[in-house]
Amino acid sequence: MKYIPYALLLAAAALFPYCVQRVFLHTPIEAEMGTAQKIFYFHVPLAWICMLFAVICGVAAGVQLRRRSDKAEALAVAAGEMTVLAGVGVLITGPIWGDATWGTPWTGDARQVSTALLWLVFVAYLLVREYGPPNSERIAAALAIFGAIDVPIIYYAVKIWKTTHPQTGVVGSLPQSMWNTLFVCLAALMMLSIALVWIRAAQARMAIALDQAWIAADTQPGAAQPA
Amino acid sequence: MRLLRQTWLLTRNDLRQEARRLELVLTAGFFTLVVVVMFALAFFALDGVVQRKAIPGMVWLCIAFVGALTLTRVFDRERESNTLAALLAAPVDRLAIYLSKLAVTLVVLLTCSALLVPGLGLLFPASQVFAADPLALIVLMVLGCLGYAAVGTLFAAGLATGNGKNVLLSVILYPLTTPVLLFALVATQRLLEGHPELWATLSQIAALDVVLIGVGAWLFETVLIGAAHSSQPARSPDASSRAAAARARSTPTN
Repeated sequence: MKYIPYALLLAAAALFPYCVQRVFLHTPIEAEMGTAQKIFYFHVPLAWICMLFAVICGVAAGVQLRRRSDKAEALAVAAGEMTVLAGVGVLITGPIWGDATWGTPWTGDARQVSTALLWLVFVAYLLVREYGPPNSERIAAALAIFGAIDVPIIYYAVKIWKTTHPQTGVVGSLPQSMWNTLFVCLAALMMLSIALVWIRAAQARMAIALDQAWIAADTQPGAAQPA
Repeated sequence: MRLLRQTWLLTRNDLRQEARRLELVLTAGFFTLVVVVMFALAFFALDGVVQRKAIPGMVWLCIAFVGALTLTRVFDRERESNTLAALLAAPVDRLAIYLSKLAVTLVVLLTCSALLVPGLGLLFPASQVFAADPLALIVLMVLGCLGYAAVGTLFAAGLATGNGKNVLLSVILYPLTTPVLLFALVATQRLLEGHPELWATLSQIAALDVVLIGVGAWLFETVLIGAAHSSQPARSPDASSRAAAARARSTPTN
């Protein structure tokens, strides 16, 4: 169990050069958008990873509040950090792609707005955890749950808000070869993110256990102090 | 029934305190006026068509600002007089505490909107269409403020013990209340345009309010009890600070 994340990291490191080669040399250039469309193979997997870990963080936070589980708390922290990290990737690659194909980096499309807000919610989550009052774990957990609930609502809200504005299609139908390349990239990035979350969650659990050991040592003067 | 009675008792208590000093209503109301005047200065030059597009944003931005101001004060009062622990020890349902604070916030926000909407009507001629459908306008303001207060009360309660942590409330509040504010924006736009689907949007806001109040009520107890005292959790709420203190104390002996 201990070596799984490192094995995943190695596999991701091996797969990533192949992804780049495949994206740039073996996948046909998209007719309408040209070379700029290549960013799609990194943008979309990052967006999926961002959403996935947002949901995981919300669920883990719910378990943390219900069961008072340290494991769930550690997973929630790690997943929250991964959401922010993947979100930065999405929010950097998205406007670059938009600028190249739509001519403007920001169109206020429902997906853009909901991703940006999701990112803001999880940055707030990390800020509250880091700088909050003593009970900040609970507030942050409530925040993560609300964040996970909010995202689909925001998506729908922006959609109806935008009915008075021009609609922008993001991706039309793609040939199978492009989808295959996308899945290879997704596999590489997914392995990387799972490995990072795994390592970070283990580290967070250790930090929680260490805190408890310090408190135990402090309340019982005779007990041995943790190293 | 008991829940409703307890909620009413707590709400009446808060409203009575408010009626004696008028602190929240006066400060929030004056702040609303300040914001409206600032909007008037900033957007004075907009012509009629653009004004109509900008007014929903002005209404709900103002509510968002006033709401953050009010929410920090609603629980501050309990904190300053150390009555939060007493409130939690009182034989009332925790849900009643949440609902009463929600009701107080809602009353303050609605008082502010009673200043805000006519104020905007006075300064921006395009918003005078608000007067065409007063019923829809009232329903809209109540539903929008209710959703905002439902999220806000939960997190204001959570931050109630953190001295000087009020900056965090704004950090949390604005991203999380965006859905309800967006829906309210859509509804306001439709109200101004006389859109036929106005009532459909309003019922969507009502449904969203039910969800937000439900989640808020579900999470309130966990968040607030962490704020007031530790009720034997697996890990005490201030574990990290206590651990840091223990670590600091032990360092010289090593």
